[in-house]
Amino acid sequence: MKRSLLIVMMVLLAWPITGWAQSRTLTGQVISGEDNLTLPGVNVRIKDTNRGTVTDIDGTFSIPVSNGETLVFSYIGFITQEVEVGNQNTLNITLQPDAQTLGEVVVVGYGSVTRGDLTGNVASLKGSEIANVPVPTFQEALQGRMSGVFVESSSGKVGEGVKIRVRGTSSISGGNEPLYVIDGIPVTSSGTIGKSNPLADINFNDIESFEVLKDASAAAIYGARASNGVVLITTKSGTSGKTKFNVGIQRGVSSPTRRNEFLNSAQYIELMRESGYNNDLANGLDPINNPADYEDSDLEFVEGRLDRYAGHTDWREGNVNTDWQEQAFNPDAGITNVNFSASGGDEKTRFYFSTAYDKQEGIMIRNNFERISGRLNLDHKISDRFSLGANFSLARTETTRLPEDNQFNNPIQLVALAPITPIRDENGVLYDRPTTTYYNNLIDSENANWLTTSFRNINSIFGEYVFSEKLKFRSDFAVDIINQNDERFFGSRTITGQGTNGFGTSRWARIVNYNTNNYFTYTNTFSDRHQLEAVAGMSFQKTEDNYTRVDGQEFPLDDLKTLESAAEIVEGTSTFTNFSFLSYFSRINYKLDNKYLMTLSARYDASSRFGENNKYGFFPAGSIGWIITEEGFLKGSEGLSLLKIRTSYGLTGNAEIGNFDHLGLFGPVSYGLQPGLEPTQIYNPNLTWETTAQFNVGIEFGLFSDRLTGELDYYDKQTSDLLLLVPVPGTTGFATQRQNIGKMQNYGFEVVLNSANYADQNFSWNTSFNFARNINRVRELAEGQNSIPPSNSRFLNGIFVGEAIGVFYGPKYAGVDPGNGDALYYSNEALTETTNDYNDAARMVVGDPNPDFIAGITNNLTYKNVELSFLFQGVFGNEIYEGGAGFYAANGDWFDNSTAEQINRWQNPGDITNIPQARLGECNGCNASSRYISDGSYVRLKTLSLGYNLPSNLTDQMKISSARIYLMAQNLLTFTSYMGWDPEVNADYLGSTTSDANVFQGNDFYSAPQAKTFSIGLNVGF
Amino acid sequence: MRFNYIQLSLILSACIMLFSCGDQLELTPAQSVDQEIALNSDANIKRVLIGAYANMRDEEFWGGRTILYAEMLGANNEIRWEGTFNQPREIYNKSIFTNNSFITNTWLRSYSAINVVNNILEVIDLVDEADRDRILGEALFIRGAIYFELAKLYGLPYSEGNANINLAVPLVLSPTREVSEEDLLPRNTVEEVYQQVLEDLETAEDLLPASNGFFARNYVASALLSRVYLQMERFEDARDAANRSITVATENGKSLIDDYMSAFNNPADTQEDLFAIQVNAQDPDNAMHLFYSTPDFGGRDGDVTILDAHINQYEEGDERLEQFVERAGEIRTDKWRDQFRNVKVIRLAEMYLTRAEANFREGTSIGATPLEDINRIRARVNLPAKSSLSLEEILMERKLELAHEGHYIHDIKRTRGEIQDNNTTDLQYNFDDPRMVLPIPQREMDANPELVQNSGYGG
Repeated sequence: MKRSLLIVMMVLLAWPITGWAQSRTLTGQVISGEDNLTLPGVNVRIKDTNRGTVTDIDGTFSIPVSNGETLVFSYIGFITQEVEVGNQNTLNITLQPDAQTLGEVVVVGYGSVTRGDLTGNVASLKGSEIANVPVPTFQEALQGRMSGVFVESSSGKVGEGVKIRVRGTSSISGGNEPLYVIDGIPVTSSGTIGKSNPLADINFNDIESFEVLKDASAAAIYGARASNGVVLITTKSGTSGKTKFNVGIQRGVSSPTRRNEFLNSAQYIELMRESGYNNDLANGLDPINNPADYEDSDLEFVEGRLDRYAGHTDWREGNVNTDWQEQAFNPDAGITNVNFSASGGDEKTRFYFSTAYDKQEGIMIRNNFERISGRLNLDHKISDRFSLGANFSLARTETTRLPEDNQFNNPIQLVALAPITPIRDENGVLYDRPTTTYYNNLIDSENANWLTTSFRNINSIFGEYVFSEKLKFRSDFAVDIINQNDERFFGSRTITGQGTNGFGTSRWARIVNYNTNNYFTYTNTFSDRHQLEAVAGMSFQKTEDNYTRVDGQEFPLDDLKTLESAAEIVEGTSTFTNFSFLSYFSRINYKLDNKYLMTLSARYDASSRFGENNKYGFFPAGSIGWIITEEGFLKGSEGLSLLKIRTSYGLTGNAEIGNFDHLGLFGPVSYGLQPGLEPTQIYNPNLTWETTAQFNVGIEFGLFSDRLTGELDYYDKQTSDLLLLVPVPGTTGFATQRQNIGKMQNYGFEVVLNSANYADQNFSWNTSFNFARNINRVRELAEGQNSIPPSNSRFLNGIFVGEAIGVFYGPKYAGVDPGNGDALYYSNEALTETTNDYNDAARMVVGDPNPDFIAGITNNLTYKNVELSFLFQGVFGNEIYEGGAGFYAANGDWFDNSTAEQINRWQNPGDITNIPQARLGECNGCNASSRYISDGSYVRLKTLSLGYNLPSNLTDQMKISSARIYLMAQNLLTFTSYMGWDPEVNADYLGSTTSDANVFQGNDFYSAPQAKTFSIGLNVGF
Repeated sequence: MRFNYIQLSLILSACIMLFSCGDQLELTPAQSVDQEIALNSDANIKRVLIGAYANMRDEEFWGGRTILYAEMLGANNEIRWEGTFNQPREIYNKSIFTNNSFITNTWLRSYSAINVVNNILEVIDLVDEADRDRILGEALFIRGAIYFELAKLYGLPYSEGNANINLAVPLVLSPTREVSEEDLLPRNTVEEVYQQVLEDLETAEDLLPASNGFFARNYVASALLSRVYLQMERFEDARDAANRSITVATENGKSLIDDYMSAFNNPADTQEDLFAIQVNAQDPDNAMHLFYSTPDFGGRDGDVTILDAHINQYEEGDERLEQFVERAGEIRTDKWRDQFRNVKVIRLAEMYLTRAEANFREGTSIGATPLEDINRIRARVNLPAKSSLSLEEILMERKLELAHEGHYIHDIKRTRGEIQDNNTTDLQYNFDDPRMVLPIPQREMDANPELVQNSGYGG
């Protein structure tokens, strides 16, 4: 809409000056380098004259010229290009988009502003910049592209949760994910079945732009839900004119980014025998040199186990060497994407229509994702004053799901099985326990099914009435419906269904989110100096969540998988929950003399989630800006084309808590099939939102006619009234109580640089760089409380005043006693004394899962019709705790296969190593400690794309307007010193509650590595 | 098309009507009720009592874990823990970490049950008079039973002799409405906790009826009292309590089952069960089945192997040997074989053994002679009757009859015996060795500075 308005204005402006007569006429066409579509409305001028024209609806132009003159092509949002006129009569131009210019329109809450007028901090990204990135959710595609926006996929499982943190983690027990708003409607972004990600329902080819509201000034208009930042997503709308079609096809192959190396059979046998034998020697037995000692020795026990694990083979012969890790990976992993869109319309009615099919065959076995989606965005002008519109979208996703990382049927857990165990027995049947050390989850591939199907509608209608040039009113009404079904069947051979002749589950969830926004917008200019825009209105949202589950077992056959066939229904449940928000909001933007800027905004929020004493909250924010380059002393400066400073301060809230946390509740239980009640929650009528006070100061600059532009920001977010699950003495009958207590701080700085390194007719090179440093500190907990120590004996994350959230806290590993092979821990914090007794070890902060900084750098190079783009993305200074290492890097503590570096274990007095002596079942160093922490920093070649646009003479012959062939790679290279699989990781099962998800960061527990994808594609426009 | 002001105001007022939504802020949960409602009537309080049973029944308590801990502590190199779960393994190795999650959860679950009981006691006057004694009796039975288990697990044995000094667990006797400094309670002594247990259970025994389905009955309270007295070495009281239990139980249809193995793996209480935790597919947790059974019966990998050292103690022809079967590559006990079967807490056989031992120690024949009681147990498993008895023989009969049901360690503690280490031949643990006492959970130490850690667990 904005673009078409602009076209009209420019056509009007340019019209009177096109009548100039000249010696000859040059014709040509202008194409956008962004999407290879023709660009109407481009200003074409002859340098140093006032002669010019604009391109028509097909992007073509015609202008009288003389030789030696220079043509200047300019268009808002694109880099201006100059071409000297030679002898040619035709000239085709591709304009490259300019990532950041003053004229760029930035969507903000309940409106939009031009970037130049912005006094808050908003990161923007055009949808076209992530087009064709081969990942299932747009969140993953944002990684590394926006400063201060940290994105992490918990593992390489497809269709699962993605963690996003805008300017750090501000809550300990409440949610930390940003609010997602699509076309003005806050959408459901959590609460679906299991680990499924509701944002995977969105086809991101439909997205025109992303805006992330980061500071208080930008975000406060979303009030009690804005503390974690707000992600505004705008979908594409139609442009009037000839209907444009676009068809895209993409195919790719995927593989794991990294593998882990494990012991082979001979090494495994050596380790396990040594482990048992060491125990015997410690007990004064020597079963190798003294056969009388063999009976009942640990060595005998180990060899008995090896006999068992070898199945029908003899481990002494060394014929079997199974690579179990490889069995966990899908050799046919890859992606497919087919999309089609059409957009067009006339002066009154415009439409954008799209449909797409996406398929990701995951790198893990049994893990696929498929999405079919469609969208129709329509707007219609009834009269000059009244317009109506509607956005309809529908998506179906189907995911074949995997269990959580700690389950025996997580494919990666196959690595625990012994390399001496053959995969199948002599009859070709998969081996299971007792031959396999643990459950052989390949049986799940043959004997289990798990499919989640989700239907998603996000539909909105709006009406807008223009009272006058100055005042308009807009009303939106929207429903966001998620209808999800999860069907699992585990056959009689699987670990889950073994004892019960199969086990099946059917789950249904329906989440309906109703939303309405109604607001007035007033714009006026007084005395030519004072520009004012004011927005005021209300919104109401209510979300209702229904969930049903039935479990059954005792199936007559594994072929009958629905619960109709279950002889025994073992569990059935249905639940309902809901929440509502009623809000009033206002914003005033004021600009004086085009250089002094001010924004004031406020929201008044009430929610069913808050206690009766604190039902309503007020969230104000203000900001000011000064465009210094508009001042006389700098105006027109060649070198310094833009200098703006801005600062903001305001309050936002975080209401991402449970729906009824303020009530004193009794919940249902049963005993002996009789219904009962038990206390579940302590009463707290004062419970309310968390408040974040954020200060931001920033500077924006443009150098050398905006060849180099940038933004520097410093911020300080102080969150108080943390919604904390405070541990209470268990003797009260409760483990925790939710209270508004405690403080947290996030502060840091962000840098954004965009540079047009070079541009001429044939070659252009742009670089875009972002960097963010965030320092997170827990400042205060409950009175007298300095810490919430690790609650899980296998993981180390805790909360400590003065430290970052989720730091690793536990014994510090001191290596191995060279004399006897004992694992040692420091027994004092000064690290001067050591002990071999884990209980005597001093507990201290031994690592931090939060990155010191994150950065991304994108380079776009264009040479004639060839484009090359690559994004390097990095996370630095964080540490990872490898929880699975207590099993696979535990120097032969038990019969799990070990990683290859375990061959460096202590064996003889004097050995200097970090890996203790092998002792069967003695846990010599296998406990949670800093032993299993390693640096998780990484740099990735996140995205690499190479495209070729067919020249226009070819496309003309084919009667199409554009065609592009491209290669696209994701996660092609990863540079890291991390010891485990992939450093972008967080064990999914630890985040079963919101507070756990906040605290348990940076843990790996048999988590799938990320996918490396290489794809080829074709886009055709006509 | 152009709207006039009447049309426009119609549209606007329709919008406003549509979205007048202040009352939409008062939402109530669908899966829980306010605490006032839960405790405001006879019917509701009875539901809360079921809630107390549900907590006691949890796998973290009598749903199997308290038995598992006893078996791991008292393994005596007669069984071997082979599972991957480190929590039982730590107990088996007598090398327990203070953050052991099983031990932490048992603590939390126990006090959760106690809080439910305390809630009931506070509003007991709202219960119909006709049922009040029973409800009160059941509530006190549950609280007494839980404090008894806590005292045994987290404190030194009563027999150690310094019950007035040794610490057990904090006594909480009123419900939690809010959390304050007053909830930072120190540990009470072993003596204080035992006295509370006696008071609760004796009152419960008086108040409870003889017939009450699978819920607490008076003879169950008597049976539990006999266990408490045994720990306190008050043999006369133990004998009388066991005798009362046997008398009332047999009057109410309880008797030994003819076939020993039929007394196990039952989906409902048998004639021999004085008290059992009800397990079914709806409420499936049975921590003993989980670890002791094998995959073919829905268990884990077969985490516990029964060693020859144990099996060799049975006499030839003892039908109790039928429980030892090779499954998943090792010898297992079939007492916990099947899934969704009740967890045995008190069997009638135990009462005969307790009465026999106490009568023997006291030189009395209350109810029956020790020989009669012991031979009753032996006859059922096809063993020849004895003609004379020693205390050692009575204790051995008790050990074998109740093997793998969580008794041996507590018998060793009260009889001042010792436990053989499972890994090192020349290492034995004396009955009062601190390593055979569980640590106070680290999370509790962190939440409550008034607590003192047990010796041997850091500090």
